[in-house]
Amino acid sequence: MSSGLLSRERIIAGPGFNRWLVPPAALAIHLSIGMAYGFSVFWLPLSRAIGITTAASGDWKISTLGWMFTLFFVFLGSSAALFGRWVEREGPRTAGVVAAFCWGGGFLISALGVHLHQILLLWIGSGVIGGCGLGLGYISPVSTLIKWFPDRRGMATGMAIMGFGGGAMIGSPLANLLMNHFKTPTSVGVQETFVAMGAIYFVAMLAGAFGYRLPAPGWQPAGWTPPVPQHTAMITTRQVHVNQAIRTPQFWLLWVVLWMNVSAGIGVIGMASPMLQEVFGGKLIGVAGALRDLTEDQRTQVATIGAGFAALLSLFNIGGRIFWASLSDYLGRKRTYVIFFALGFVLYCSAPTAGRAGVIPLFVAVFCIILTMYGGGFATIPAYLADMFGTVHVGAIHGRLLTAWSAAGILGPILVNYIREFQIDRGVPAAQAYNTTMYVLAGLLVIGFIANARVRPVAERYFMNDAQLAQELAGKR
Amino acid sequence: MQRPSASSWAAVAVAWLLVAIPLGWGIYKTLQTAVKLFR
Repeated sequence: MSSGLLSRERIIAGPGFNRWLVPPAALAIHLSIGMAYGFSVFWLPLSRAIGITTAASGDWKISTLGWMFTLFFVFLGSSAALFGRWVEREGPRTAGVVAAFCWGGGFLISALGVHLHQILLLWIGSGVIGGCGLGLGYISPVSTLIKWFPDRRGMATGMAIMGFGGGAMIGSPLANLLMNHFKTPTSVGVQETFVAMGAIYFVAMLAGAFGYRLPAPGWQPAGWTPPVPQHTAMITTRQVHVNQAIRTPQFWLLWVVLWMNVSAGIGVIGMASPMLQEVFGGKLIGVAGALRDLTEDQRTQVATIGAGFAALLSLFNIGGRIFWASLSDYLGRKRTYVIFFALGFVLYCSAPTAGRAGVIPLFVAVFCIILTMYGGGFATIPAYLADMFGTVHVGAIHGRLLTAWSAAGILGPILVNYIREFQIDRGVPAAQAYNTTMYVLAGLLVIGFIANARVRPVAERYFMNDAQLAQELAGKR
Repeated sequence: MQRPSASSWAAVAVAWLLVAIPLGWGIYKTLQTAVKLFR
């Protein structure tokens, strides 16, 4: 067990502590690790690290660099699953500090990788070590926030997880600024940018970790009355051990819920901008003709609009995280996911129709709403878990559930890419090749809907008895 | 349960500003890109 500055005992809040200090601490960590989504900003400069102005012999291919994304999300999910129990035992501050070392240190190892031109160092530095930092940092505030906000669990975790969605919004333009500042006739500036960003994120994450406080045992918000326990209620006041939780059907149903919601969302994110460009083509810039008929200059204009669309979607993605998670405090978690899957199904199926009708605002609106529910799915799941399994092990249970995210990172892109290739190989026009993909993604939402509908309160035999709970809580002190 | 002290709200404001400023800048930069969709 950690001791001194990082220990759990050290961060128990005193009387009169203001719980609203905890969400910004969580945001500092999530905004830092959220840069994982923005790493593509480095691909182009890194693909000409030797040639500087153009790619030279020996320069890395963008497809080689892109493996970093896969490593990020595989190691995020696996480290969250493996170390979730450790995070619960050692406390959020220890986890936040280790995450800061992994994420910040990963940048430094990557900088060395750029200096030595060794791709393996980038994969290990940012991908593997940084990926572990992502997992630890992601789950570090979850159970803490749920304990501080028993009255608004959804809103509290939504605030933190919104930060993960917003990290790239800060990190990508910051990286561009730094690369422009550091670039010279002999360097693309990525190495120095990695060092600077590693240092910035390390400091920000340490500040967040040292801002974490745990509520004293028995603490509850002033004026709040806990709900009366009911056997049939979807919010339990009892506790399930993480090792028992993964034996419950509820855990695996929620695993499928997250897997399907994220797979469909990842699929949409990957194809939204190219779909807009190929479906509407010249109409986006007020000229007639499909994308393939446009001049190089016109295609550049269309691509710029596509980038604007992608940016708009990222705003709705983060907005959805706080909006839906907060709304779930009033609607209930199960009902919120019913909306995600039912409304999502209608919207996924209507996107091709909006494209065929040529109504750009309708098409854009459909995708914006879809993206709010993608983000909302991430942000609402920790509160759903706390409702089903109690708050004592929710961080560790959430960590194990995040393997669904890793699985979605494989399923979503595979579905989108292979269905599209399959159709184009059979002569389907590029603009129409997206339609079937959207219907298949809508099918994933049907699976998610069924899984969510089957979620019932956890059976009595899975809950810890009073002696087990007392032993568990004593072990944390 | 004891209510937070009045002075703690000043610390809350500072903590939120520290995260809101970079996030606001990031949202502003994203909006700059997003408006190209509507031109």
